[in-house]
This record gives sequence, C-alpha cells and structure tokens, in this order.
Amino acid sequence: MSTLLPHIFNGLTLGLLFALIALGFTLIVGVMEVINLAHGSLFALGAYFALTILGGGWIEGTAVGDWWMGVPLGARYVLALAFGPVLAGVAGMALELCVRRTYGKAPLYGLLLTFGAALVIEEAIRVGWGTGEKSLPLPQAINGAVLIGGLIFSWYKLFAAGFALIAIAAVWLFLERTPYGAIIKAGAHDSEMVRALGYDLSRLRSLVFGLGSALAGLAGVVMVPIWGLRPHLGVDVVIPAFLIIALGGVGSFWGAVIAAIMVGLAVGITGAYASAWSMMSMYLLLIAVVSFRSRGLFGRKSALEV
Amino acid sequence: MSRNSLSRRSFFTRSGALIAGATLIGPWKLNRAYAADKPLKLGITSDASGQYANSGASDRRGMMMAIEEFNAKGGILGRKIETVHIDTETTPATGTRVAERMITREECGFLIGAVSSGVANAISQVAQKYGVVYLNTNSSSPSESGENCHRVKFVWDGNGTNFAKAAVKNSIDSFGKKWLLLTNDYVWGHDTAAATRKLLEQYGGEVIDEILVPQGTRDFSSALLSIQNAAPSVVAAAVGGDDQKALRQQVAQLGMGQKPAWINNQQDWPDVYGLPLDNLFGVFGTTWYYKLDLPGVADFVKRYQEMYPDTAMRVPGNVFYNGYMSTRELLRAIERAGTTSNIAVIKQLEGLKVSAEDRMQHHDAWIDPNTHQMQQTIYLATANEGTQDTDDMFKILTSSSPQDVEDTDAAGKCKLESYDDTPTFDA
Repeated sequence: MSTLLPHIFNGLTLGLLFALIALGFTLIVGVMEVINLAHGSLFALGAYFALTILGGGWIEGTAVGDWWMGVPLGARYVLALAFGPVLAGVAGMALELCVRRTYGKAPLYGLLLTFGAALVIEEAIRVGWGTGEKSLPLPQAINGAVLIGGLIFSWYKLFAAGFALIAIAAVWLFLERTPYGAIIKAGAHDSEMVRALGYDLSRLRSLVFGLGSALAGLAGVVMVPIWGLRPHLGVDVVIPAFLIIALGGVGSFWGAVIAAIMVGLAVGITGAYASAWSMMSMYLLLIAVVSFRSRGLFGRKSALEV
Repeated sequence: MSRNSLSRRSFFTRSGALIAGATLIGPWKLNRAYAADKPLKLGITSDASGQYANSGASDRRGMMMAIEEFNAKGGILGRKIETVHIDTETTPATGTRVAERMITREECGFLIGAVSSGVANAISQVAQKYGVVYLNTNSSSPSESGENCHRVKFVWDGNGTNFAKAAVKNSIDSFGKKWLLLTNDYVWGHDTAAATRKLLEQYGGEVIDEILVPQGTRDFSSALLSIQNAAPSVVAAAVGGDDQKALRQQVAQLGMGQKPAWINNQQDWPDVYGLPLDNLFGVFGTTWYYKLDLPGVADFVKRYQEMYPDTAMRVPGNVFYNGYMSTRELLRAIERAGTTSNIAVIKQLEGLKVSAEDRMQHHDAWIDPNTHQMQQTIYLATANEGTQDTDDMFKILTSSSPQDVEDTDAAGKCKLESYDDTPTFDA
C-alpha cells in the first residue's frame, strides 16, 4: 500500500489536469451542442501564444525580443498565463463565426468544420512557430522538486494541479452563481426562450465559444511545461478530452471533473504497474463504463439526441 | 511459303522483344532504369514532424552539405544531384507511403535518411522490393543490421548493442549491479534493452525491473516514482527524441540526475542541444563530437557554419555527421563504380573502408559486408561541467574501437537477399 499511495496521489494530480483540459470542451458541447474538434488545437495555440509572450517564437532574436527578455521571468510568465488564453479565446470566437453556419443542422456539419479548423490551426502553427519541440520556461518559484512522504515530486506539477482546482471552482462559480452563468445555462436549455427574453443569442454563443476556447488555451499554458509543445499536440489532447466528456456524460460539469479524475487515476496507477498499458487504460475505462451506462456516468438526455 | 517466312521473322522479332523486355522488366522481379542524361534525384526520407522532427532536420542538413559539395565539383558522373524531401512523420506507415511515392512517382534513384528504426525498417522493405539502395543514416536498433537487414540497406549509426558494449561493464564496476531499464516501447527500445540485458547477465549485473514507456510519453511522473521505489543503482534508459528531452527535463527538475546513476544508450545531439547542463546528467554514448581533437574536425565545423549561418544549432552533432558521412560515401561509391546501377553501387559499399582521418574518428571504420552496418568508433561522454562555452556540452570519457564494441549477434540474424533476388535498378 505504501508504494501505491504515491501513485494514487500522482493520479489525482493528473486527473485535475485532465479536468482542466476537458472543462472548455464540455462547456461548448453542453451549451452549444457543438463537438469542437479544434479544442486540442486551441489548447496548443494558447501555449504558443504564451511562448511568444515569454519571449520565444516570433520575437526571439529581435530588438524588441532582447528588451523583453530583460523583464523578469516571473512577470512575463504571469502575463503569458493571462494573455495566452485570452488570445486563444479570440481565435475561438473567430472560429465560432464559421461554426454559426452549422447551427440547426445535423451535428456532423459542426464536427467536420471544427475538424478542418483543427488542421488549419495546426498548419498555421507549423508556419508561425516551426515544426520542432518547444518548451515554456518556468519561474524558479514554481520549478524544482518537493519531498512528500520520502518521495520526490515535481513542484510545478503540484502547482498546476492546484491551479486546475482553482480554475474548476472559478468556472463552477461563474456558471452557478452569476447572472451570466444563468443566461448561458438557460441558452443551453431553451435558446428560443432566451432569445424571446431579449438576449442576443449570437453574442451569447460567441462568448461561450470564446470562454471554452480560452479555457483550452489556459489548459495549454498550464500543461505544456509537463507535456512539451509541438504543432500536433492538439491531437494528443482532443482525444482524452473527448473521452472524458463521453465518460462523465455530455454536458455534465461534475461528470467531466469526476471522469477526469478517474482517467488520471487509471493512467497514473497503470503507469506504475503496467506502464505499457497506461494510455490504453483510459480507453478500457470508457468501454467498461459505457457498456453499462451508454450516456456516461452523469449524462442526462443529451441535446445531441433527437 | 511467304506466310511461313513472315511468321518465322515475326516469331524471332517477337521473341527478341520478349527476351529484351523480360531482361528489363522480367516476370519474376521488377527492374527499372532512368535516363542517364537527367539529374540524379535523391529521395530524402527524414522526419520533419513527430518524435524525431529535430533530429530529422539535422540529418537532412548533413545530407544536403555532402550533396552541395559534390554539386560544387560538377555533380556525380556528370549529372547534377537533385533532392526530393517528404516528411516521414516518425511513423512507419508514412515511411512506407513516402518510399513508394519517391520510387514510383518521383523517380528517385537512391533513398537516404531515418532516425526512427520503425520508419527505417518500413522504408527498407519498399526499397528492397524495387532494388533501390537505401541509407539508414541515424536509426540505431540492432535489428536494422540484424533480422531486418536487406541487401539494399546500409546502416551508418552505431547500434544499441555497440553502445551497450561500450558502457555496461564499466558502469557495473563504477555504479553497481542493480539495474532498472527504462525503455521506449518500440523496436529500437526493445532491441537495445535486450542487448543491455544480455551484457548484464554476462558481467554479473541484475535487471530488477523494466519500465516500458509508450512513444509520445511526455509525463514521466509514474515512471520516476517507480524508479524511486525500486531504488536501482543504475537506470539504463533507451528513450529517444522528444520523449527523451521531456524525461531529461523532469529528472533534472526532481534532482534525480545524480542518484541513481543514469546510462543513456545513445545521446543524439539535437535532443539535448540548448538544454541547461543539469539536464545532461549521466553517461551516454555518441559516434562523434564537434570538439574531438582530430584533423579535419575544425574545418568540418567551419563548413557547417558557413552553410548554415542562421540555424539555431550553431555546431554540428552526431546526427548531422551521420547524415553527411553516409551521403558522401554513397556518392563516392557511385563515382568509384562509374555507374548508378544498384548492384555495382552495393558492391562498392560492401567493400567500403574509411580511414580514421577521413571519418574524423579515433579508429578506422568499415562496412561489414554481412550486415551492412558501419563498424566505427564509439564514444562515451558526460556533461562538460564548468564550461563557459554553451555549445561545448559534452566531455568525452572514452573511445572504443569497432572491434571492442562489435555486435557479434547481428551476422547470425541478418540474412541478406542474394544479388539475384534483388531487382536490378539503374538511377
């Protein structure tokens, strides 16, 4: 048991990070009935924007870049953490302008459009930032190691898990405790009624898509110091995100969070005892759950069902 | 009568055409020839994306420098050398498609390039089908010159067995007998781990555990916790490309670089160039280093810098070196053969011997005609602590002769196709 505990702890932290990835995805699916296959690419895009803000990428080697590199890393990191997701959110809102044409049509149209958008974003990243692997530099305050129970853990990973926990709580509070959240939820439940009450449905959808994309970008900035940064990172991300919302139940906030923690535990524990199966374990978990409950753990009748 | 005479003439004419046709295209094997007055087209099959994107780019730069040098001298056999590059994406299935396209549609006469052994194996199967000579420049699974060898394929990098032979015995003596293997879960990782296991048994070491790491792993926290629990004396890592870069960063972040001891089978230069020096923990193998105190090295570095003044990698590494050396030797072999006919070029390469001076290594090198692997000097290195030069990251510890690190099992496993079973091909 003493050897299992660290892996459970590691799995929990991993699960919180998976939840952060799935959060924006579940928001867009739940509210807008669009499966956004570009979610992973927006995740990567947020991280690439953060890389540029930190001083890499486009401005590297220029006079502006040299001046900017003189600013302390901690300050640049905070700005990257704030503006990387914002820029990803803006990109998401631009994407939503294209997705609009698919509203009210079969879900396949939105699926194909966002799949195409994912390819376009990935290629744009290759052109803009190159094809090689990049890494985000971290301030010393959140770097290094910490000793817990005689074992060494990554301090940054604990920071990232804590940050994910705060982000989850903030999104929940926003949806449940603010009038904006109420409008978003009402829009998901009965969009025509929301329109009849005088709310601009187009603007609402644009904001939700932007928020979901910004959350993807935020997850990107937080996760990339652990996973590394490369143009096709989006593909690595969208699959677990999709799996988590299917496992938790489409549109269920807590379903996504609990499913993410289950996936984290499965990956963390199999990584310790049957490492070759660590990535496979999440798919086996999904198969096991949907075999008995096809709507996932907390899925209500999905808006995608007709 | 006249009808018989006409029939006879017709018979001989058609028979002659049939024999000539059979010689060229034959019902039993595919034979090809491209026009000799056209430029010689080389197909560059290196990764531009995926786990080995960085190394693929370095490999490509090496090939291009050798080609540029030949073109500056007037090309090869009076023909200009042209290149076609298609990204093999560090994916074997893509490697197969790229090789098919390069041979059948792009009319490439020779294929060059690989970092991933899975991709190299896939390309070489296609190349053998058409009889096109293929240079595996940088992939180092022992199976590439063992069970997956082919008559058309030549392997230029040191392999997992060569590096393990250079490292295992000394490391048991220096660090201890309890070893844990951290293995990339694909052909190179498995073959290298198998070679390490065998040597450990031979020298009295013990494998206490093996952790398989799927390709594309970025979060090594589970593996690093397991290593802490197992408390080995040595971790023998066969993890490559961007996976290895992530591993190094995470091990350094946890301060685990000194204890346990780390032996990294082979350290490709693009995987560590630019990383902080504390990421470069442990002992690792390489085939070449840009600061070797040998004739020609400084000039080689200068030529690299003149050709690639803007590249982020300011000095060449082992991957560039292999890309350059393999391409140069292929072009020299064509020159010596006086033809681009595949069998003639293969025979030239099978008899290849290169002096230490010409290869800028400590020992003479040669192609083993039974396995088609370049037998060469293997170096062990560690981080160059205390240096002020950010490029000068390695401190070379030892140099082993090709005889000392020979992969003696390869010849038994390698069954090269006969010349008769290899389709003739003239580029």
